Amino acid sequence: MKRKLILAGAVSLALAMSACGGSGGAESGGAKAGGTLNLAVSQALKSWDLAEAGMGNAEQYYEPVFDALLHMDSKGAPTANLATSWQYDATLTTLTLKLRTDVKFSDGTPLDAEAVKANLLHTKAGKSEAAALIKAISDVQVTDPSTVLVKLSTPTPSLLRSLANVPGMIASPKSLTSPQVPVGSGPYTLDPAATTAGTEYGFVANPNYWDKSSYPFAKVDIKTMSDPTARTNALLSGQLDGAGISPDRVDAVKAGGLKVDTVTPGVVEGLYIWDKKGAIVPALADVRVRQALNYAFDSASIVKIAKKGLGTPTTQHFTSDSEAFVPEMDQTYKYDPAKAKALLAEAGYANGFDVVMPDISSLFPEMQAAMVEQLGNIGVRVKLDKIPFDQFMPSILAGKYAMSYFKTGGVDPWIAIQLIVSKQATWNPLHYEDTHVTDLLSRISASTGSAQVALYKELNTYLVQQAWDAPWDVVKDVYASSKNVQVTMHPFYQTPPLFNFKPAS
Amino acid sequence: MAVFLIRRLLAGILLVILVASATYILLNYTGSDVARNIVGETATPEQALAKAAELGLNRPLGVRYFDWLGTTFSGDLGKSWFNNVPVSTTLLNGLPVTLSIIFGALVLSALVSVILGSLAAVRAGWFDKTVQASAVLADSIPGFLVALVLAMVIAVNLGWLPATGFVPFQRSAVEWLRSITLPSVALAFGATAATTLQLRGSMLDVLKLDYVRTLRSRGLSDRRVVFKHVLRNAAPPAVTVLSLQFIGLVGGAVIVEKVFGLRGIGSIATSAAVQGDAPVVLGVVIVMVLIVVVVNLIADLAYGWLNPKVRAE
Repeated sequence: MKRKLILAGAVSLALAMSACGGSGGAESGGAKAGGTLNLAVSQALKSWDLAEAGMGNAEQYYEPVFDALLHMDSKGAPTANLATSWQYDATLTTLTLKLRTDVKFSDGTPLDAEAVKANLLHTKAGKSEAAALIKAISDVQVTDPSTVLVKLSTPTPSLLRSLANVPGMIASPKSLTSPQVPVGSGPYTLDPAATTAGTEYGFVANPNYWDKSSYPFAKVDIKTMSDPTARTNALLSGQLDGAGISPDRVDAVKAGGLKVDTVTPGVVEGLYIWDKKGAIVPALADVRVRQALNYAFDSASIVKIAKKGLGTPTTQHFTSDSEAFVPEMDQTYKYDPAKAKALLAEAGYANGFDVVMPDISSLFPEMQAAMVEQLGNIGVRVKLDKIPFDQFMPSILAGKYAMSYFKTGGVDPWIAIQLIVSKQATWNPLHYEDTHVTDLLSRISASTGSAQVALYKELNTYLVQQAWDAPWDVVKDVYASSKNVQVTMHPFYQTPPLFNFKPAS
Repeated sequence: MAVFLIRRLLAGILLVILVASATYILLNYTGSDVARNIVGETATPEQALAKAAELGLNRPLGVRYFDWLGTTFSGDLGKSWFNNVPVSTTLLNGLPVTLSIIFGALVLSALVSVILGSLAAVRAGWFDKTVQASAVLADSIPGFLVALVLAMVIAVNLGWLPATGFVPFQRSAVEWLRSITLPSVALAFGATAATTLQLRGSMLDVLKLDYVRTLRSRGLSDRRVVFKHVLRNAAPPAVTVLSLQFIGLVGGAVIVEKVFGLRGIGSIATSAAVQGDAPVVLGVVIVMVLIVVVVNLIADLAYGWLNPKVRAE
């Protein structure tokens, strides 16, 4: 009798399970207008407090709830959003923003100049990537409920683009001090019932949103999935409509009938020369040695083999979407180990030199193999220092290494400069300064329009000639999406912004 | 019995304090600048310093340790340094995931190993040989490979079960079962093989004993002899194996959770350890030690229930 009961139970269970089978995702509402848009993000959400917000692909967590002051068009030009117009003064240190007057936060508070002031000052005071981008804001003044003056301690050419991203997002002032649940004026609101902190965030359409037509989905569900296998399987089985994937999954994902796009987040990878002063390795102070390092790398092969084609060979820090990009510069250092050796000999290093670099084999084994081999070919003997990966960035910042593999940057040239070029740049750990560069930077920040673009290009040309670093390629990230959605990649956003997702017609 | 329980519980608490304290001290000697990793690649050095100060990392280790010990004892596990979510929330969200798939794996493993193990012992011959060979083979296949194949074939290609995600039991029992089936099967694979072999061996030992012959001579059916008498006597070692399996399964869960995109204790522990998220690592360690203590206690009790000789001692 007992056995029969167990059998009956097992059979009914199997029936119940297979009855639900085949639907793919457990809760996929289907990415049609009025349905659910299911996305996955590889990074975890840091905080709902915008002062602590993460960026990069974590931007997607914030987009449903928080609306930004500006948006950007596909050329990176600012377009109206919460701010309807904007104007710099002659010194480029005061930005006047005119705000929409019909916007309310989801808690009923009106979005006005005071709210914008509270947010910008709050975010700027934080300890995050978003805060770093608007650190030049010295004050925010309210002239009337729909006008704010943003005061800058120094002209900041990247400011408008930053205001179109996380640093320009506006939360309800009441929620700034208790950001456990995000309260914004964005197209969606967080649905606590569909949310598990650290795992999954459910959002439902905000019925009072002023621009509903740009956000056709009734619900958005964002899952945190750090594992590339899990993301790929979820995409292939229809549980997700969009997620970043790793390059080695491209073929599998395409074979599964999904669309694959590339995103160029402005990141450039290669050999970064931290010790241009020659404090650790004296040879690096000589520009001929740095140029020799540039001639040493066969970027085309590195991209083809180590990157499976997902990159664009380059010798400059600025990418083709950037105003500072100079196409001819990419021809400056064609792979030529003989020339590299000749330059080393000319600089007095005919026998090459020794250098210690952090071991990156746990994360980028092919890159490391290519780098060490090609440096060896010109006589640069690399000794690898084994360190845990969480010490990689801190030890570079502490000035421990003369050079290493690295990747960083940004599509906006000013952001890239603040990261790697200026004397105070985070990724200029030994604070190398070149007076010509410093002069160019001050002229760039004081200029606008075509004059500024010309100066950006001049700076870029100089940096390449000086062999500031030895970049190999512009990184391409891969974004996969289901047939149910139409996604448009956007050059200045690291992941496709939410307003670029539409149901497939 | 009560004295035995209290003694074991006190030892368990002491063990938790010792292991957690050792972890705390070790975490402080990894030499990494956690604050820099928290604020991110593009933040300024000043922001990293401010973050370190906010977390109290500029205070002496001794002061921080006793502070931590005090707050932990008051039941506050703190907040994650990386996502500000209270550690208790993270653990409460992660535990049901891991315990569900381990529970599923144990049930599967126990069922399959009892059936295959006892049949192999009783039937012998080709069936026994097949079971033995399959078990050795199953044991040698790495868990992640089983997980990958199951995810690819059953979830992605056939679409029978979800490829990723966990549905809490309270939300939907059927969806819960669907979400844990593949991870549990993947996890159960190696454990089942080991338990089957263990059970087969101890069954064979028991079958040779005199009382079995006596029982048979009295005309009891084979099935009755095996399931009512032999299995019960052969079970205690298998219970020990299962309790050890449980602890081993926690380790296996790390990989299975990753493949199936589950945010269980295993994946929480690995991501926190890689990042250097000390409050989360400590929280996981405390919970893990508690679980091991409780499982061992349950195993001892089950052993006693199954084996009256132990109870009498």
